Amino acid sequence: MSDDASTSVLAARSLTLGYGSDPVVHGVDLEIGSGEFTVIVGPNGCGKSTLLKAFGRVNRPMSGQVVLHGRDLRTRRTKAVARELALLPQSPVVPEGVTVRSLVERGRFAHHTLLRQWSPEDERAIAEALDLTGTTDLAEVPLASLSGGQRQRAWVAMVLAQDTGVLLLDEPTTYLDIAHQYDLLQLFARLHRGGRTVVAVLHDLAQAARFATRLVMMDDGRVVADGTPQEVVTSELVGEVFGLACDVVPDPRTGTPLVIPHEEPVAG
Amino acid sequence: MSRQSTLPSRVRPAPPAPGPEHGPPRGVIVLRLGRALALPIRRRSLVVGVVIAAVVLVGAAATLSLGNLGVPFTQLPSVLSGGGEATDRFVLSRLRGPRLLVAIGVGAALGIAGALFQAVTRNPLGSPDVIGLGAGAGAGAAVAALLLPDLLPVPVGALIGAGTAIALVALSTGTGLRHPGRLIVAGIGVAAMAQAFTHFVVAVLARDEATSLATYLNGSLTARDWEHAAVIWGALALSLPVLVYLAGPIRLGEMGDEVSETLGVPAKATRTAAILMSVVLSAAAVSVAGPIAFVALTAPQIARRLSGAGGPSLVLSAAVGALLLVCADLVVQQVPVGEGLPVGIVTMGLGGIYLGHLLIREWRKGSL
Repeated sequence: MSDDASTSVLAARSLTLGYGSDPVVHGVDLEIGSGEFTVIVGPNGCGKSTLLKAFGRVNRPMSGQVVLHGRDLRTRRTKAVARELALLPQSPVVPEGVTVRSLVERGRFAHHTLLRQWSPEDERAIAEALDLTGTTDLAEVPLASLSGGQRQRAWVAMVLAQDTGVLLLDEPTTYLDIAHQYDLLQLFARLHRGGRTVVAVLHDLAQAARFATRLVMMDDGRVVADGTPQEVVTSELVGEVFGLACDVVPDPRTGTPLVIPHEEPVAG
Repeated sequence: MSRQSTLPSRVRPAPPAPGPEHGPPRGVIVLRLGRALALPIRRRSLVVGVVIAAVVLVGAAATLSLGNLGVPFTQLPSVLSGGGEATDRFVLSRLRGPRLLVAIGVGAALGIAGALFQAVTRNPLGSPDVIGLGAGAGAGAAVAALLLPDLLPVPVGALIGAGTAIALVALSTGTGLRHPGRLIVAGIGVAAMAQAFTHFVVAVLARDEATSLATYLNGSLTARDWEHAAVIWGALALSLPVLVYLAGPIRLGEMGDEVSETLGVPAKATRTAAILMSVVLSAAAVSVAGPIAFVALTAPQIARRLSGAGGPSLVLSAAVGALLLVCADLVVQQVPVGEGLPVGIVTMGLGGIYLGHLLIREWRKGSL
């Protein structure tokens, strides 16, 4: 127990979540260890995004709690949490007339005080975030005029500028073409190797299996499997949870599991 | 025969330093005081702010010196320092001085109120007028002036009316002042009720005294005294600490609750505080000058375009608001056609044109 607690960064404790009065996530217990790249997968509506948002303190638990570094998230100040944990949102509102740089600057808010709203450390973090995401040359370009891939990189840069130990990513590759998807996932893998704890929600099982150090599969608001990609992505589980008859074969390049559907799913 | 890399960022080695020792970026000045204070200010905002302040000063000088009773430009310094002729001192200290200060204060308060309201409702057409504040103040003023003339001073009546309107709006939304969409819908209803009430009082109960009230109901700066100036500048001074605190959070709030929360802004508390400050400032403005139309709506929009930073600017909105009202009041005082009109009629005329422009633009963008 105490060993667990020392490496656990983020934890859900009998966490029930929902909108209105209907629970979407039912009493989930999940410990996220320091330095893990955890990917949460599951069918649409299984509660994976809802769980991720609760980790990011955006959703208020109906019961149970989310614990960050041993302390209940709800008891902590918004700004203090934002220095330890960043969440890349799914389809954020683009503020009118904002350039990439001024978006990335917004990531530094949690490090400012009323009277100190600029420091050399801000400048270093912003420059690093722009560089890691390859957006340095786009810094002065309005966000609205960027392509989908560039824009997503700018949002990632904002989250990186926040300079947190924990990164939460809510379907970060949606709307991107396959090259940009892998490009972004490789960036997250680099950040993970650099020591950050990453928790992502992904749709693509092959991508999830390839990049995750740990895979969590959810179904109907509960965690149904939790382990290495090899342990979780099996033809039995995918058949049961997604209702998709398939074979699972090792990826010829990486050896990670790859899902090969048997045939096109027949409606009804 | 090397293949061209499509993603040079992958192979690029160390991050390039933006300047020596990570200094501030281009176009930004950092206002410093030891280690305690470091505020970044964009050079363009600074220049725009200084230019607007200079134009306000020119308008102020014109307000004081034009026309029959005007104190000549060259005499202004000596009269301001307590010298000069007695009539000039009277004009400055009793007539135009307080009126000018009220105009600047009310304009600034309305500009800030509008900027706060538009930022947290994420709606360029939002302003405290939209949620029935002006109409409520009008109804309160009508009651004070016509039904309880000896009991209730008109500004106090206006304040009570504005407060009642906002309380009604907050009650009828069911979610207080938190939900911008409901706020506007409830506000339209409350405003209509308040106007109906005003008409009832004016037309039925006190037909004879009503003409004197018409000026006030349009928003006027005629015959303002030091008490009026004290009310509006007091409200501005009292709200300053909260405004300084809100300036950063409301900019992030534009990105929606989820994003601003994860960046460190308590979204709901920020919105409630911003709407409350917006109501307090516009109620103070209404109580000293009546419901002056459209300044709260237009000033933040003009400020946003001038600053070019993409985001609300409280300081520039205040400056633009002050400028608009000083200019409109100058028109009322000195332009033959406008002479004697309540200043609110001028702002309504100009603002109506601007509102039309905004509506057409939003419509073309397809967001309306």
